[in-house]
Amino acid sequence: MTVLLKAWSVYVRMTARWPAVATIVPFLPLLAVWWITVELALFPRVFLPGPVEVIQAFGSLTYKGILPDYLQDSVMRLLVGAAWGIALGIPLGILIGTSAWAHKALWPLLLFFQAIGDIAWLPILVIWFGYGLVTMTFIIVYTVIFPIVLNTVLGVRSIPVTMHRAAQSLGAGPLRVLLEVVLPGALPNIVTGLRNGLGYGWRALIASEIIVGTSGIGFLMFDARRAGSVVEILLGMIILGLLWSIVDGWILAPIERATGQRWGLVAR
Amino acid sequence: MKSLTIRNLSKTYFDPYAGKHVTAVHDVSLEVAEGEFVSVVGPSGCGKTTILNMIAGFIPTSGGEIMVGGNPVRGPGPDRGVVFQSFALFPWKTVLDNVAFGPKMRGMGRAERERIAREYLDLAKLSDAAGRYPSELSGGMQQRVGVVRALANEPDVLLMDEPFASVDAQTRMTLQEELIRIWQAKRSTVVFITHDVGEAVFLANRVVVLSKGRVLEEIVVDLPRPRTWDRLDEDPDFKVLSHRVLQLVRSA
Repeated sequence: MTVLLKAWSVYVRMTARWPAVATIVPFLPLLAVWWITVELALFPRVFLPGPVEVIQAFGSLTYKGILPDYLQDSVMRLLVGAAWGIALGIPLGILIGTSAWAHKALWPLLLFFQAIGDIAWLPILVIWFGYGLVTMTFIIVYTVIFPIVLNTVLGVRSIPVTMHRAAQSLGAGPLRVLLEVVLPGALPNIVTGLRNGLGYGWRALIASEIIVGTSGIGFLMFDARRAGSVVEILLGMIILGLLWSIVDGWILAPIERATGQRWGLVAR
Repeated sequence: MKSLTIRNLSKTYFDPYAGKHVTAVHDVSLEVAEGEFVSVVGPSGCGKTTILNMIAGFIPTSGGEIMVGGNPVRGPGPDRGVVFQSFALFPWKTVLDNVAFGPKMRGMGRAERERIAREYLDLAKLSDAAGRYPSELSGGMQQRVGVVRALANEPDVLLMDEPFASVDAQTRMTLQEELIRIWQAKRSTVVFITHDVGEAVFLANRVVVLSKGRVLEEIVVDLPRPRTWDRLDEDPDFKVLSHRVLQLVRSA
């Protein structure tokens, strides 16, 4: 009993010092189960390779330069798509959130097009733009933009009217109200929208790379299927998960902590 | 600081559910002199907040006129500072930046607006809270910031909409005494909306009793200043005045 308590206390102190430990530890049992399953040879190795083979594949693909190139392609596509999604989505969300007329005119359209979904656009996009970057960028922007617009609208509309009035009676004109009240007031929701949008966009990117891509992590996985290399498929899946954890934990979560949580708008 | 003149003010809404017009404020006239503190008291639904919102320029009038220092009111503006019941502090700004907001809107540089903000924070003994965010403060502290933010912009008229209604009774008494102290230092023209009769009498030079959108009666409060609750709680004049206002409000 005391040994368990001691181990627990060590764990608590470790995670306090290095928060990353808390992220890694839950994966250890999963890794162990995977390894044991492979070692017991329950399935043929070709169907289910072990962690060591995956790491070896990582090494050789990195050495050949394929993995870094593909990773860079995927991330760049996501960034370009996200940048467009942000640049279009936030102003559109603010317009719909602040103007009753824009809301009346655009909200039903927004809900309609949101329902069509990203992948459902692929057939027509392939006919229009072919297999390539334009099609993929369209898909990502399309996926990223809806969560951003919808959450921005929600954020703008949840700002109490007294907040606008306070700013106005302190001498703020429309532009100042936009910059000092509407934008910061909606920011926690905008960040949430961005977080969801990037998450969906990442998945849409992989899906579109599988179907129309000539490079990227999605393409790597689909290409590996053609070659019958389960190792590379598993590697691709692990990289997808890892990359998202990094983006979420190192970029998006800190932004959330610095804004909504700091201001007491979102529960910690 | 300027006087406030309200002449034949009225407000009529169209109620789409009832399908008819409803008159919330009916032919109200009121003169608040420069540096005077006027309380407006009445039961809920008597139109007191509607009047304040019209003076602040937040909602349009249906008739009559409102003038600050002889200039007609059109929309919200920095000549009329407002203190809200819900505080309405900007959660994304520190206490200092909240108080410096008005001066910032007037185009003041950082150093100067922060100097002004600190001066007013000192006045309300809030200097220690300057770097904190509103959510880190108690309700009483938040409303102190709300009052100071309005004052730091040096408005001609200060409008207060049941500002102390959502803080606990002890804090409320302290805030009332502090408001009196600050008002005596700055001598602003104040319109103070409340449903609390004791509060109305304690603070004001004059109490206006509203009933169903009309002025029922005005009562001059000639109690000596400075006023504190220790002194006034058992004061016979205060009791007589409060009792009279209470009778009027209850008959309203």
